[in-house]
Amino acid sequence: MSLASDHDIDLIYQKSLRKRKNMRRLWLAFLLLPPILMLLIFVFLPMASAVLYSVYDWKGLVRGEFIGLGNYYDVLFKPRESWFLFNAFKNNVVVFISLMIVQNGLALVLALLLARKPAGYRFYQVVIFLPVILSTVIIGFQWKLFLNPIFGLVNKFLRMVDLDMWALPWLGLPETALGSMILVNTWHWVGFPTLVFLAAIHRIPKDLIEAARLDGANEWRIARDIIWPLMAPAVTIIVVLTFIGSFNWFEIPFIMGSLEGSPAYSTDTLGLLFYRTAFGSVSAGGSNFGAGSALAVLIFIFIFTFSIIVTKYLTSREIEMG
Amino acid sequence: MQTKKKANFNTWLMQIFLGCNAVIMLYPIFMMAISGFKTNSEIFGKPFSLPSSLNFDNFLVIWNTTDVPRYLLNSTIVTGLSVVLLLTMGTMAAYALARYKFRGNIMIYLFFLSGLMLPLRLAIIPLFIQLKYLGLIDSLLGLICIYTAMSLPATVFILTGFLKTLPSELEDSARMDGASEARIMVQIMLPLISPALVIAGIYTAVPIWNDFFFPLIFIQSPEWKTLAQGLTSFFGEYSINYGVLYAGLTLAALPVVTIFIIQSNRFIAGMTAGAIK
Amino acid sequence: MAHIQINNLHKQFGDVKVIRDVNLTIDDNEFVVFVGPSGCGKSTLLRLISGLEDLSSGHIKIDGERIDHLPPSKRGIAMVFQSYALYPHMSVYQNMSYALRVAKESKASIDKKVKQAAEVLQLTELLDRKPKALSGGQRQRVAIGRAIVRDPKLFLFDEPLSNLDAKLRVQMRIELTKLHKKLNATMIYVTHDQVEAMTMADKIVVIRDGIIEQVGAPLELYNHPANQFVAGFIGSPSMNFIDVKVIGKSDASLELELKNKTNIHIPCAEVDLHAIGDKMQIGIRPEKLILDEACDAMQDGEVFAVERLGNETYIYMHTATNNEIVLHAAGDKPVTEGDHISVGFKVADCHLFASNGEVVK
Repeated sequence: MSLASDHDIDLIYQKSLRKRKNMRRLWLAFLLLPPILMLLIFVFLPMASAVLYSVYDWKGLVRGEFIGLGNYYDVLFKPRESWFLFNAFKNNVVVFISLMIVQNGLALVLALLLARKPAGYRFYQVVIFLPVILSTVIIGFQWKLFLNPIFGLVNKFLRMVDLDMWALPWLGLPETALGSMILVNTWHWVGFPTLVFLAAIHRIPKDLIEAARLDGANEWRIARDIIWPLMAPAVTIIVVLTFIGSFNWFEIPFIMGSLEGSPAYSTDTLGLLFYRTAFGSVSAGGSNFGAGSALAVLIFIFIFTFSIIVTKYLTSREIEMG
Repeated sequence: MQTKKKANFNTWLMQIFLGCNAVIMLYPIFMMAISGFKTNSEIFGKPFSLPSSLNFDNFLVIWNTTDVPRYLLNSTIVTGLSVVLLLTMGTMAAYALARYKFRGNIMIYLFFLSGLMLPLRLAIIPLFIQLKYLGLIDSLLGLICIYTAMSLPATVFILTGFLKTLPSELEDSARMDGASEARIMVQIMLPLISPALVIAGIYTAVPIWNDFFFPLIFIQSPEWKTLAQGLTSFFGEYSINYGVLYAGLTLAALPVVTIFIIQSNRFIAGMTAGAIK
Repeated sequence: MAHIQINNLHKQFGDVKVIRDVNLTIDDNEFVVFVGPSGCGKSTLLRLISGLEDLSSGHIKIDGERIDHLPPSKRGIAMVFQSYALYPHMSVYQNMSYALRVAKESKASIDKKVKQAAEVLQLTELLDRKPKALSGGQRQRVAIGRAIVRDPKLFLFDEPLSNLDAKLRVQMRIELTKLHKKLNATMIYVTHDQVEAMTMADKIVVIRDGIIEQVGAPLELYNHPANQFVAGFIGSPSMNFIDVKVIGKSDASLELELKNKTNIHIPCAEVDLHAIGDKMQIGIRPEKLILDEACDAMQDGEVFAVERLGNETYIYMHTATNNEIVLHAAGDKPVTEGDHISVGFKVADCHLFASNGEVVK
C-alpha cells in the first residue's frame, strides 16, 4: 500500500465523516424542529405577547397606545376593580385551603387504607377514579341538577329522611354555594390524589415497613413515621397541582354558578374575573384586552412564584430513596 | 385472641368506610344514567326508583333533534387528530433528546420542560388574536393546534423518560445490521415503547376530550362545537326537560366511561403519569 | 477470513485519551482476545474496529484495504453484544434475518442462510420464539447466529459470556472455540476475565489505560510477561511479588537481597542498566512455591487463610517481612490457619521486574 493511496483514503474518510455528520444534523433537525416550532408559536409566543399586550390601551381587537402600567393600576387599585380582585382572590384561597383539607385529606386516608390491599381493592380503585375521567362540564351540570332546590335529588332525599330544614337552595345562597362547589370538586377529583399517593406508598420498599413492624410500631406509627415522610415527593406534586388547579378554578363556578360568580359574587374566582375583564360581561362591560392581559400576567406571576416557593419548601423535606 | 378480634374489627371498619365511599362515588353516576330513561313526571314523582320501563325516548330526542351527535363527532375529530399529532411530534422530540448526544440537548429539553409550567389559559387573549390572524377561529384545526402545543411538553417529558431506559446496545446492533437512523427509530426502538405511547396518549386525550375552556372562546358556530362545550347550549335549550338533560349527560359520559372500564389499569397509569416520578 | 492491521490508532473523547497509539496485526483465522481491567479501553478498541465509534486518527485495514471510512454495516464485520441486544419484539428468525432484510436480499437466500445458521447452532426448533421465551444460553446462541448469517470476515465479541452463570459460561467457552474452528473465521473477543482469555485465545492482547501492554500466545504471556502488570494480570491467583534490593553485580547476573536478608543471584543480560541499591521485585507464581523443602530461598510466615478445593489447596500467608504470599499446592495439605510455615522457591522460577515494572528476567 503506497502512501499516496493512503492519503486519498484519508480524504475520502474526512469527506464521508463530514457527510455523516451533516446527515446526523439534518436528521436531528427533522426530529426537533416541528415540535419546537409548534411550542414556540402556540405557547411561548402568546405567553410573551400577553406581557406586551398588558402595557397597551385596547379598543376592542385594535391595539391603541402604550400606557405603561396603566392597566395594572386599573385592575389593582380602581375601587370597583380592586374589590372584585380581592373578592375573587379570597375565594380562590378558600378553595385551595378547603381542597387541601377535604379533598387531599380524604385522598390520603383512602390511599392509606387501599395500600393495605383490602378485599375489593381493584374495585375500589376503579370506582374512586371513575369521576376523574369525566368532563367537569358533565360533573357540573349533573350536580347542578342534583342540587336543584325543588326537583334535585339532594333535597328530595333530605325531605325523605325528614330533614326538611336542611333542604336549602344550596347553590342559591351565598353562604352555601362555594362550599357546595368545593364538595362537588372533591367528589370529582379525589381519585386523582388518592391514586398518586397510593402509587407512592407502593413504591416504599416492603422491608422498611416490615422492619418498623418488627421494631414494634403500630399501624398509626408506621403511617406517621415511615410512610408519610417517604411519600413526600407525591405530596409535593399534589400540593402544587392543587394550588395551580385552585387558582385556575373556572369550570365548576362557571357551570354551577354563572360567569358573574353568582350568587352575589360569592363564587367568583380569578378565572371568572379574568374572563369577564377580557371578553366582557354584564358587570365588567365591554371586552378589555389590556386590563385582561394585565390580570393574566399578575395571576401568572402569583401562581408561578408560589409554585416555586411551595416546591422548594416541600422538596427540602423529601428524602432520596436509594 | 384479643388482637385477632381487634384486627377483624378494623378490617370491617375499613370495608365499611371504603364501601360507603364507593357508594358515594357510584350512586350519582348511576342516578344520572337511570334518570335518562325516565320521564319528567317520574323524575319529580319517584326520583330514587328505577325507571318504570327501559325507555329510550330521551336518547332518541337527543339523537334526532339536537346537535349532540355532531358535537360527539367534532370532539372525536379534535381529540383523535390532536393525539396523533402529539404522539408523532412528541416521539420525534423525545427520541432526539433521549437517544442522541449533541450540543444544546439539555437546553432543548429544558425548553420543553418549561412549557409544562406555562398555563396557556392565561394567554388566551393573544392566542385569540393570533388565531384570528391565522384564520383559525371557529375551526377545529385551531383547537387541534392549541391542544397539540399545550400537551407537547408533558408528552415529551413522559416519552423521554421511557426512551432513555432502552439499552443502547440495541441501537448499536441495528447499526451493525445496516439499518439507517430512521429505520432504527421506527423498526427497533418505537415498538419497544408502545406501552408508553398508550400512557402518553391517554394522559393527553382525556383532558382534551373533556376540555371546555378553549372551545368556549374559540368556537362560535354550532356546527364546530365540541361535546363539553355543546352541552352548555344543549342545557339552555332543554332546561325544563330533565329526562333529556340526564340522557344527554349520560350519552356524553358514555364513550370515556366505556373505554375506562375496559382499560382501567392503563387509564389510571396514564392519567397519573405526569404526577408519578 | 481476514487479516486485520491496525496502525497508530488514537481515540479521544474530549480531552480524555482512551486509545493511545495502538498498533496490532491479526492473522487470518486467529482467535484474538483483548483483555484488561474494566475501563482500560478494550471495548472502545472493539467499537472503533466495528465502526460504531469514529476514530480520532490512525488506520484500520482488513485484507490490506482501509475500512475506517466505511459505516459499520459495510465493513464485513459482525458483532455479538454483552447483553446480546436481541430485538425483543422480533422472533428468533426475524432477529437472525434482520441484517439481510435491511440489505434487501432475496427471501429465498435469507431463508437458506438463516436455516443453515440455525442448524449449526441447534436453533431450528426455536426460530418462531421471541427472545423472552429463551434461556440465557439460547439467547447467546441466537446472538451468535445473527452474526453468522451475515457471513462476515470478522466476528467481534463484547464480553458475551458475562451474563451467563458459571457452569453455562464454561460450556459456552468450549462451544465458541468449536465454532471458531468450524467457521474458520477471524474473531476478536473482549473480556476482563483472564481465564476466558487463557482458554480461548490463539493470541492475547493485554490492554491497560488505552495502551497495549503485551501481545502473545497465552502461555507465552504466562511464562514470559513483558512487565509486572501483565505478570500480575494473567494467572489466577495472581503472581506473588517480593521486594528485593540490588546489592551486587557480576558479568551476567545481579545479586539481590530479600528483606529477610537472604541473598540470591539472578542472571541478567544487561547488568549495566541497573545500579547497586536499586529497588526491584521478584515474581513467583503460586504453584512454583514449595512448601517445607530446602530451596534457593525461603520465606517464613504465618498462615491466615486456607482454601481447600479437594484436589488442590491455596494457602495464604503473611511473611515475617510483611509480604502477602499465596501458595498453590496439589492435593490436600495438612496446613491450618495460624500455622507457621516456611516456603521456598527456585531462582530459575523467578521473574525479576525493575522498579518501573519492566521485566529484567
